[in-house]
Amino acid sequence: MIKLSHLIIPLIFLATTAFGQKTVSGVVNTTDGDALIGVNIIEQGTGNGTITDLDGSFSLLVSDNSTIVVSYSGFQTQEIEVGNQTSFDIVLEEGAYLDEVVVTALNIGRKKRALAYSVGELDGSSVATAKEVNIGNALAGKVAGVNVSNPATGAGGSSRIVIRGNSNISGNNQPLIVVDGVPINNDNLGSAGMWGGQDWGDGLSSVNADDVESMTVLKGNTAGALYGYRADNGVILITTKKGSKNGGLSVEFNSNFQAETIMDNYDFQTEYGHGLNGAKPTTIEEALAQGLYSWGDQLDGSSVIQFDGQSRPYSAAGNNVNRFYRGGSTFTNSLSLAGGGENHNFRFSFTNLDNVGIIPNSDLERKTFSTNTNISHGRFTAGISGSFVIEGVNNRPRLSDSPGNANYTAWSLPPSINIEDLIGDPNKPGATADGTEYQFNDNVFVTNPYWAAHQFEGNNKKNRIFGSINMGYEFIDGLTLNGKVGIDRFTESRRSLTPYGTAFSTLGQLSESNRNVQETNLEATLNYVKDINETIGINLLIGGNQQRNSNEVLGGGGSNFNVPFLHTLRNLANQSVNYGFSQFQVNSLFGQAEISLNSALYLTVTARQDWFSALTDPNGAETENSTFYPSVGLAYDLANGLELPGVIDFAKVRASWAQVGGATSPYQLGLTYGIVGQGHLGQALGSINNNSVPPLGLVPSTNTELELGFDVRLFKGKVHADLAFYSRETTDGILSASISGASGFGSKTVNVGKITNKGVEAFIEVQPVATKNFGWTIGLNIAHNVNNVESLLTPEDDGEEIRLQESRTRNAYVHLVEGLPYSQVMAFEYERDASGSIMTDENGLPVQGALRSFGTGVHPTTIGINNSFTFGDFGASFLIDMKQGAVIYNATNAYGYFRGLHQETLEGRESGIGAVEAANVEDYYQRIAFGISEEFVQNANFVKLRELIVSYNLPASITEKLPFASGSLSFAGRNLLILSKSTDNIDPESTYTTGNGQGLEMFGVPVTRSFGLNLKLKF
Amino acid sequence: MKIITYKIGILLIAMLLFQTSCDDNFAEINRNPTVATSIDPGFQFSLVQLRTSGGRYENWRAGLIYSSMMNQHMAALCGYWNGDKYTFNGGYNSSLFDRAYGEQVKDMQDLINTLEQGEVGDQTMLGMARIWRTVIFHRLTDLYGDVPYSEAGLGAIAGIDFPKYDDQQSIYMDMLSELESAVGQLGSGGFGSADLIFGGDVDKWRKFGNSMMLRLGMRLSEVDPGTAQSFVGKAIAGGIMTDNSDDAFLQHTTGQGINLNGIGEVLDKSNGFGDDCPRLSATLVNGLVERSDPRLDILGVLPENGGGHNGLPNGLDETTIADNATGTNINDFDRVNPLIVSVSSPMMFMTSAEAQLLAAEAAVRGWGSGDAASLYAAGVSNAMNQWAHYDAALAVDPSVITDYLAANPFDEGNAMAQIGWEYWMATFLNEYEAFANIRRSGHPDLTPVDYAGNVTNGQLPKRLAYPSGESGREPFEAAKAAQGLSNDFSTYMSVPVWWDVN
Repeated sequence: MIKLSHLIIPLIFLATTAFGQKTVSGVVNTTDGDALIGVNIIEQGTGNGTITDLDGSFSLLVSDNSTIVVSYSGFQTQEIEVGNQTSFDIVLEEGAYLDEVVVTALNIGRKKRALAYSVGELDGSSVATAKEVNIGNALAGKVAGVNVSNPATGAGGSSRIVIRGNSNISGNNQPLIVVDGVPINNDNLGSAGMWGGQDWGDGLSSVNADDVESMTVLKGNTAGALYGYRADNGVILITTKKGSKNGGLSVEFNSNFQAETIMDNYDFQTEYGHGLNGAKPTTIEEALAQGLYSWGDQLDGSSVIQFDGQSRPYSAAGNNVNRFYRGGSTFTNSLSLAGGGENHNFRFSFTNLDNVGIIPNSDLERKTFSTNTNISHGRFTAGISGSFVIEGVNNRPRLSDSPGNANYTAWSLPPSINIEDLIGDPNKPGATADGTEYQFNDNVFVTNPYWAAHQFEGNNKKNRIFGSINMGYEFIDGLTLNGKVGIDRFTESRRSLTPYGTAFSTLGQLSESNRNVQETNLEATLNYVKDINETIGINLLIGGNQQRNSNEVLGGGGSNFNVPFLHTLRNLANQSVNYGFSQFQVNSLFGQAEISLNSALYLTVTARQDWFSALTDPNGAETENSTFYPSVGLAYDLANGLELPGVIDFAKVRASWAQVGGATSPYQLGLTYGIVGQGHLGQALGSINNNSVPPLGLVPSTNTELELGFDVRLFKGKVHADLAFYSRETTDGILSASISGASGFGSKTVNVGKITNKGVEAFIEVQPVATKNFGWTIGLNIAHNVNNVESLLTPEDDGEEIRLQESRTRNAYVHLVEGLPYSQVMAFEYERDASGSIMTDENGLPVQGALRSFGTGVHPTTIGINNSFTFGDFGASFLIDMKQGAVIYNATNAYGYFRGLHQETLEGRESGIGAVEAANVEDYYQRIAFGISEEFVQNANFVKLRELIVSYNLPASITEKLPFASGSLSFAGRNLLILSKSTDNIDPESTYTTGNGQGLEMFGVPVTRSFGLNLKLKF
Repeated sequence: MKIITYKIGILLIAMLLFQTSCDDNFAEINRNPTVATSIDPGFQFSLVQLRTSGGRYENWRAGLIYSSMMNQHMAALCGYWNGDKYTFNGGYNSSLFDRAYGEQVKDMQDLINTLEQGEVGDQTMLGMARIWRTVIFHRLTDLYGDVPYSEAGLGAIAGIDFPKYDDQQSIYMDMLSELESAVGQLGSGGFGSADLIFGGDVDKWRKFGNSMMLRLGMRLSEVDPGTAQSFVGKAIAGGIMTDNSDDAFLQHTTGQGINLNGIGEVLDKSNGFGDDCPRLSATLVNGLVERSDPRLDILGVLPENGGGHNGLPNGLDETTIADNATGTNINDFDRVNPLIVSVSSPMMFMTSAEAQLLAAEAAVRGWGSGDAASLYAAGVSNAMNQWAHYDAALAVDPSVITDYLAANPFDEGNAMAQIGWEYWMATFLNEYEAFANIRRSGHPDLTPVDYAGNVTNGQLPKRLAYPSGESGREPFEAAKAAQGLSNDFSTYMSVPVWWDVN
């Protein structure tokens, strides 16, 4: 299990401890001479630090030539070069907000007080201690207005992040991800739909949590306005760790182990066994035909034949879910080397992540090599930052529909069947002696779960490099030219195997493909900063960007292996080759001007013009292919400008307005034709390629937002509150609207629609106690979004709908409906009479009523409450994550009704229901299962204990005796408890896709809880 | 300072240059290098023919699971073979509707539109394409009732996103006049070898077009005898299919999905998959035995468990089979002969047997010239011989046919039942057509099953249900109201279509 590298890495450290170190000490006071308690003293670029005690004094072991950073909420941060000094008298000045800088669009650091919009900030440690394999999932509940959905798709799966509500009718609703100033690809590489499939992962999962210094979330349009057409869903800026200047060499080792167990939400009936019509099977044929049905007799312990011809006691066989899944784990080790000198800083790191999935035979491995290195020479600066990521995932689980979906079977076995009796050949799980699938029922499409887990393959490997080289030159003080080349390139190779001997495809199927995805950005900016006089300052920026993207896929596939069990492409009887290519380019010019008055009033104006190749007619017809994106923002610090009570340190009011846009895919203009297959009887076959009616002309969507906000800090920073209100309108969305299949096309690409998002976000942080021995901080973030689909295809018609998703049960859908919020879960209701009673037909079966909407699949309200405590060297925090206001269609329950597994189906088994006799009671429930989907739409609200961390910093008294400078040990848990939910048998966060159509569940990978230890050592 | 100004100047000029070329080359970048903007009509015609033969999806669901069971060609125990027991599965019901418009109608309409522009192709191609369009649409309306027709498949051509549903009467009237006009267009030219049915043989297309007119005309025999008689007469006068070389079928091959026979994809075990649920029905096997029909050995294979040919009664399941007198295990019954349901088997669309039998019916009704008895004999003879298209080993010796006809002579008093039985036999594996003709003619007179949970109240189903996803869309709601259909899709199977008045 534990690889050699995991052992070697610590050994390297033990051998390298002889760096120059010394203890520095001192005291921190206010300008009035009062001692400051709880001030953070941190060695720059490291996690090494301490806080001041009751007397304001501190002591810390640091490397020679390091820099210490002294920071305290409400005061200006100081950076002090240690040099030869060992004792320090430090005086902190109040009003830190004057200088607190935050990374904004294009990686420009700006003073917080100048910002006319709300940003969310996260420290790197908040995603590194309690780890998720996909860093996106670790954001859940931590930033107001950022709604993270964690689909039930397994460890290598994607995350879905939506900021301030869904704006786009189709296409992307997730934010732009920017790492050290370079946009990276966050496309989902494939997800499950109604006919099954796998989640092939996304781009954000390549970002290594151990390399992250901080994250800034640009929520609104104004914040992202300089990104123009890419900003309509917000932006997440990730800044990676750097070495500190003059910091000497610092070596850090972090080891994190998280164990994972499934959260067992499964609660099906255990009173009736396999069979039909209230009877036990009596022959092997019957047992096979009834292998998936729990409509048999009451479990009585008698000996009853099963699918394999063996008779076993007709009694509850125990929890099959727990038997089938295993404990998972994630083991992450990272090593970094950082430091710097007068004119340079550097950081190199290596991280290895090993995940063992809860589904047998599934795992993930990811290795990340990163650097962030910068030099300066006179007026020149240059830097390089980037990561090389090697990721491999074995057996991405199949979801939704039954073929190859182990979850489907594990959840639907009758209570009288023990899943372990399906193992078959222990040396080839899921197989019979002849090596083919061991079938336990007569429906070949319901796959033996062991066969699905052990014999199917759904593997992909990704080699990815992303990063940038930047160079700058300062002509005169304040005037800087910067150039940057950014690249994100990955190669994904994929293999998807339905093995020889699978019941639904006895000769097997295989597809393999290689995909090359690349984005390059060339960016040049000219920046001029000048304080014209005592009161007026200006900050001007102009620049241009050229973005080029390409996506190329070459694959082969086919069916019917000639040589049994030889699973190669060459061995396929029917082979075909697939090739796909697309590219697009966007050129942009942009500028930003900031004018400040008395460091209290800030006016910022930005403008950007984007030109799109995808909107340019390939045949030269005149099309509108460019768009202008403006923004304007005003921020005013009342505390600086007016006489306010002394408890108010800072009180900024802000207002901003911006227009940004969305993009579209290339090659949508015009009907095209292609060749199908390899011909028939020597004749070539050709057809229309488009599955969507091509548009006559397209314009980019427009997204206009007004944002108002208030940022106040009281009692020397002990209370911080930030409120934001926004109102956003998205028009001219480019969408592939679902139209009647009888049109010949499933959808139509149109430039239509209007969606509004209005909302409020509040972030409140209070430090009720801050002493050396005990500190307590409560952070609360609340967001409520009111989404409304104002109009869809034609503005003049009302009540229009667009279908986003359909359930495999074919009677529940996700629609956009005019006048209602995004992602309406649609289901067929019971037909009721005037008095509201359920109507039945002549056979006593309930009658299907109309299709109607039951609510949105997207939670409008998200609340995160974080409490963190420090007790001397101990620290603890826990995060409560709540989401309210959404519904989910529980297809697991629909199948539970169909198969007689659901608790509710116990009623009437002995007595019948109305006109339905007891023996036929399954007809009653099966009618509901696939006819009346209303029954399975449930409230998806939840309250979860999302995260719990307890940490211990090794005190100097211990570390002095050990060969390292500092260390900490943490216990971290994720998704520990569901404190409240309304769904039975499933977790309310169990969708199988990160697509726009949210609100459908069906046999996903069970949600897990994880907990483990994090050890951090610094040498 | 001057140098600095100079540098800034250069930079600004560079940026301006950048701007003037802000969308340079963009048209080229947005041209997809992997597709074509037009295509040879022959390529498209071949594909539409193959797709009309259909994929596994709809052949399995609407074709086998429903039609072949409801018309009692076959029977099954498996619960998901819903058609055997008249139980409801929405997705299976709508499967042909779900697939036909996107896979068949879309390219068909596009091809006809291209040919109508007159820049490529010729009038004969247009005639063939229009005949083929009625092949596609008559199946849809026969199976579902009122369906999108006049506006269907025009999403790209005419921008119609939600085509209206035409009532079946007007669809039939239009299809009949389309056939008449299309047959008139056939002359020189045509698709040649891109026509996978007749290799471009215009004479055969003429007979095929007239035979389709005969089939469609006769479909109106009960609801509108006047129109029926008129088109039946025109069709026969124009010349219909007479012998097996006229049979309209598409030869499938092994290869990829598109090349395979969709029925074979379901039932051919040698191709890596085989749904082993269906067996020949008792109705069919008993009828063949009763008539000493040589097709017993063509359509079926002897039961795995031994014994003579034996058909499975419809309406049984794994439990109730235990009480069945003719066999208590699925393998006590005949499977369909693998030779006729292979992935490379031909797919029949219309045969000379059908045409001759319809002509015999016309003669009995006094609508056509010719002698009913000899047309009947030709129909039966062609129906026996058509299995040689599947495999030469299935050829029937002429003397055997003569013997069969002698043993089962044409009986004017019982002509309609005889013709109905033989038509039903001739359309084995053309399950949509067999299901339609039974509903029209009432022959053979099938005994419905009454399985618990059936949705037709124990009566023979009358149609299949639309895709439930059409719910709420205006054109569909209008069609629903016009046909008196309720919200509950499971009730649709009991509602007769327009021409089904018996």
